[in-house]
Amino acid sequence: MTAQRILFRIALLIVAAILQVVVVNRIPLPGGQPDLLLLVVVGIAFASGAERGALFGFCAGLLADFLPPAGHIAGREAFVYTVIGFGAGLFEDPEETSVLTTILVVAVGSAALVALYDGLGGLLGDARVTREDFLHSLLGTVVYDVVLAPFIVRPVSAFARRLEPVGPR
Amino acid sequence: MRNPRRARFVLVILLLAAFTLITIDYRSSSLDGVRSGASTVFGPIERAVSDVTRPIGSWFSSIGHLGSYKHENDALRRENSQLENELHMTQAERDEYAQSLRLLHLAGLAQYKVAPARVISYGGGFTQDSTVAIDIGSADGIKKNETVINGDGLVGRTITVGRTTSTVLLANDPTSTVGVRLVGQRQLEVGIVQGRGVNRPLTLSLYSNTTLPQVGQKVVSFGDASTGFRPFVPSVPIGYVTQVDPLNGGSEPTATVKPYVDFTALDIVAVVTQTPARISPGQLVPKSPTPAPTTTVTVTASPSSHPSHSTPASPGTSSSP
Repeated sequence: MTAQRILFRIALLIVAAILQVVVVNRIPLPGGQPDLLLLVVVGIAFASGAERGALFGFCAGLLADFLPPAGHIAGREAFVYTVIGFGAGLFEDPEETSVLTTILVVAVGSAALVALYDGLGGLLGDARVTREDFLHSLLGTVVYDVVLAPFIVRPVSAFARRLEPVGPR
Repeated sequence: MRNPRRARFVLVILLLAAFTLITIDYRSSSLDGVRSGASTVFGPIERAVSDVTRPIGSWFSSIGHLGSYKHENDALRRENSQLENELHMTQAERDEYAQSLRLLHLAGLAQYKVAPARVISYGGGFTQDSTVAIDIGSADGIKKNETVINGDGLVGRTITVGRTTSTVLLANDPTSTVGVRLVGQRQLEVGIVQGRGVNRPLTLSLYSNTTLPQVGQKVVSFGDASTGFRPFVPSVPIGYVTQVDPLNGGSEPTATVKPYVDFTALDIVAVVTQTPARISPGQLVPKSPTPAPTTTVTVTASPSSHPSHSTPASPGTSSSP
């Protein structure tokens, strides 16, 4: 994987993370917000496979853990996005990933994202994690992510595939 | 899949790395430097993106507050989309001007020395961090654990400071605790106020279990002189008591406090960098228990009252903030 390809993916992650905190989190939607970073990580993983999906997921989570205005214990997002990147990478496809697969992976991935993150928070005694908020946040994140999935995941993986030659490396 | 065994190995290594990070951050504050660094590096980018996208964001957040604009909005629907967009933008500018005025008023009353700032990014999403980033930092003399206010009262405290941006933990975050006193006719009661998350009121717990707070009583920050008034300076209005739970399981009494600040619509704030030696606890609280409605600035502001716009502000021509 050349430096250019890596930088391109890292740039995508940074753009998504910044748009999340500056634009998306400002919109007062009922039940939380969509998670752009998850959609980009899934898109990259579809094109790059489980190993790189996990690597870029880790980078994405690390970024989200430290990008202002993060105010939680660092490493939690790195952990959950690594799992998501790996899981989505199992559905790697050198051609286009079908809409149905995309939506299913995004739905399960979003639910896993919230559940794992809140689970780790529960272990660490995070006062923000309550049952009511957990269900609210889970539902909101899954619904909004699924709605946005076809518009973000597919272009991202199409772009990533163009940079990534097909075949074994 | 190319090499399942290697992929699993990478997964395990990365998860261990993440766990290590969590352990380090849970047990020590040694990652604070990394946070400040991230604030220094990414803060300016966020600020630039925020400058560009602010009109869009204002438009979206004005949708969230449509209840109060209902009649106004019905009329607007008849306008064409161009006009509608311009009107939202100038509404945002007017809001901003009103916010600045109230902030100056509060800071002036208290003789706080403040550094004004603007919110550039928001926590939230599935992490539910009730935090914001603001566009001033160590280069402007801001330090960690300083009080952040707006024109209505207490916003929170700084938790991470980069060179030109900082992160603020809002008072409604469940991890936020503020030492407070109750303002009333009788002696001053002391307690703490904790956040309960976005769109929820705050919880007040009193140290003494002999007296009960009363509905309508105002709550202000305590401000501990022994810690140099950090993280909270004294007498900043926080909210008023709306409900009292007399004996919460036999422990000290608790009460629900409605905050003066609307944490979902933060824009212009200020960091208190110096506080006068003495402020009386009730000096800064609003006269009535309910905060004044926030958007009552008249449409036709006279040019003299608009220092930032030298020309009369007409909806189409005013400059962007």
